[in-house]
Amino acid sequence: MKILIIEDEKALSESIADYLSVHEYSCETAENYHSALQKIEYNLYDCILLDITLPGGDGLKILEQIKEDKRKDGVLIISAKNSLDDKITGLNLGADDYLSKPFHLSELNARVAAIIRRKNFDGNSIIHFENLSVDTQKKLVTVENKPVELTRKEYELLLYFVSNKRRLISKDAIAEHLWGNEMGGNYDFIYTHIKNLRKKLMDAGDADYIKSVYGMGYKFTDK
Amino acid sequence: MKLIAKYNRVTIPIIIGILIISSVSYYLILHRILIYQLDKDLRVEQREIIQHVEETGQLPETSDYKDQQIFFKPTERKEFKDQYSTEDIYNKREDEVESFRRIDFLVNQDGQYFIATVKKSQQETEDIVRLILTVTLLIIVILLLILFISNRVLLRKLWKPFRNTLEQLNQFSFSSKNKIALQKTDIDEFKELNQTVLFMTQKVTRDYQALKAFTENASHEIQTPLAIIKNKIELLSQSENLSENDINVLQSVNEAAARLSRLNQSLLLLAKIENLQFANVESVDFSYMLNRYLNNFDELAHAKGLKIFKAIEDRVFVKMNESLAEILISNIISNAMKHNFAGGEIRVELTSKMFRVSNSGPQPHMETRELFGRFKKESTSGDSLGLGLSIVKTITDIYGFEITYLFTDHHHVVEIIFHHSIPG
Repeated sequence: MKILIIEDEKALSESIADYLSVHEYSCETAENYHSALQKIEYNLYDCILLDITLPGGDGLKILEQIKEDKRKDGVLIISAKNSLDDKITGLNLGADDYLSKPFHLSELNARVAAIIRRKNFDGNSIIHFENLSVDTQKKLVTVENKPVELTRKEYELLLYFVSNKRRLISKDAIAEHLWGNEMGGNYDFIYTHIKNLRKKLMDAGDADYIKSVYGMGYKFTDK
Repeated sequence: MKLIAKYNRVTIPIIIGILIISSVSYYLILHRILIYQLDKDLRVEQREIIQHVEETGQLPETSDYKDQQIFFKPTERKEFKDQYSTEDIYNKREDEVESFRRIDFLVNQDGQYFIATVKKSQQETEDIVRLILTVTLLIIVILLLILFISNRVLLRKLWKPFRNTLEQLNQFSFSSKNKIALQKTDIDEFKELNQTVLFMTQKVTRDYQALKAFTENASHEIQTPLAIIKNKIELLSQSENLSENDINVLQSVNEAAARLSRLNQSLLLLAKIENLQFANVESVDFSYMLNRYLNNFDELAHAKGLKIFKAIEDRVFVKMNESLAEILISNIISNAMKHNFAGGEIRVELTSKMFRVSNSGPQPHMETRELFGRFKKESTSGDSLGLGLSIVKTITDIYGFEITYLFTDHHHVVEIIFHHSIPG
C-alpha cells in the first residue's frame, strides 16, 4: 500500500510516516505544493494525506487536480484550520475524509485503513486477527466463525483496536474516537466499554487480545 | 439628575427672586404715581376753594362724602405751608381701615384765616394698583409657564441627536460587523460628539477585531506544534523497553498535551463564534439532533448507570447555525453526564419554547451564574476546562436566547428559552 503524505511540517510528516510504515504501508512525503504535484504526476497512491495549508499553493488545488484526472487515490485532508468551510469544501471536492490537527496517530491510521478498505472494494472488507474477524461491510464480528453480539460502541472500539493492532492506543485517543472532543479527558467511561468488550470476546472463544498498558492505555495484541 | 432638572434648579429660584423684587418695586412705583395723581386732584380742589373764597368772600360748604371730605378750621396763624399727608381712618360702616390722602392749606376770608382740609379716599387708587398688579403678575406667570414648557419641548428636541447617539452606543456591539449609524445634526457640539464617538467605536472595533484575529491565528499556529508533540509522544509510547518511570513521565506529558489541545480548540471555537464565523443560519431540527445525540451516548449513560428521562417534542425547529446547535447540545448533555453521580439521573425536555436539561450532581461551590464565565470551573480535574458553559453562553447570546443555570433540589438545571423558534 502506497501512501503520500503532503505536509510542510517535517516533524509531523515524519511521525505520520513512522507510525504508518509499521502497518505495511510504504510512505512518501512531499513538503510543498510543487513537489506534491510532481509526485502525484508520476505515481498512484492508495491514500494521499493532504494538508491544505501548504507553502507555494492551496492544498485544495491539488485535490481538484486529482479529481480532474479522475484518479482513484483516496484523499484524507488534514488541516490545522478545523474550519467548517474547509471541511465542507474539501468533502465536496471529493476528499474521502477530514481530520483536524492535532490528531492521534491511531485515529489517522484507522481513518486511512477505512479509506483504503472502501477503495479496494473487491471483496476484501474482512479484517482478520488470529481467530477473530471483522466484516466491515456487514459490521459483523466473529470469533472462530461464531458471531459475537456487540453494541455499536463496542463494535467501533473493536474496529479501532483491530486497525491499530499491536500498537499502544492512549485512553485519550479512544475517548475521542468514540465520543468526539467533548468527552475527552474523561476516562472512566471507556473503562466499562473495554471491560464489556473483553468479556464478550473471551466468552466467544478465549480471544483475550485487549491488554491494558499501565498508565498509558490499551494494546490489541496476541502477545 | 437630568440636565433639565439641573437647569431648572438654578433658573427657577432666580426667576422667582426676580419676580418678587420686580413686583414689589412695580407696586411701589405704581403706588407713587397714583399718589402723585391724587395730589394733583387735591391741588385742583385747593385752587377751586381759594377761587371760590376770592370770588364770593364765603367759605364753600363743608362736605363729608365717602370719598371726599372738605372742612375748615379757624386759625391764628397767618402763614402756613401746604401740607400733604396720608392717614388711615377707621370706617365704622364697613368695618375697615381706609387710607385717605389729605391736603391742609391756609384760606384767607377777608382777614379771617382758616386751615382748609381736603381728604380724598385712596381706596380707589389702591384698588387700581392692586388690579394692575394682579393682571401684570398673572401675565408674567403665564409667560413664564409657557416659557418653561416650550423650554422643555425645545430642549428635548435639541437633545434628540444626543439621545440618538446614546442609543446607538447602547446597541453597539464590538463583534457586530455593522458600523454605528449616527444621525446627522447641525449643532456643532453634537457634531463633535458624533465625530468622537465614530472615531472611538471604529478604533475599538478595529482593536477588538485585531485581538480576535490574534487569538484565532495564535490558536491556529499552536495546533501544528501541538500535533507534533502529541504524535511524538504516541510514537515514543510504542517503544517496548520503557521503564515504569519513563511511562509515568510520558503519561504526564501526554495528559498535559491533550489538555492543552482541548483548551486551544475551545478557545478557537469561542473566537470563531464571537467572530460570527458561524453566520449560516438555518432551521435546525433540534428534536432530531437531540435524539441522535442522546442515542450516541446511550451506551455511555448505561455504563455509568445513569437514567435518562426524555420529554422531547417532535419537530422542534430552531433558527440557528447547525454546527452551533450541535455544540450547544453536546456541551450541555456532556456536562450533565460528567458532573453526575454514578446511578444518577438526567432529564431532558424540549418544547418549541425551551430546552431544559436537569441532572443530579454535587452541589456547586460557587454561584451557578458565575459558571458561565471563562475558566470558571467546579473541579480541578483535568477533564474540565471551564470553557464548556461559556461556549454555551456565547452561542445563546448571539441568537438572543435566554439561558439560566440553577441548582435546586440537588439538581443542576440548565434552561434555554428560544425566542424565535418556529413550529414545524
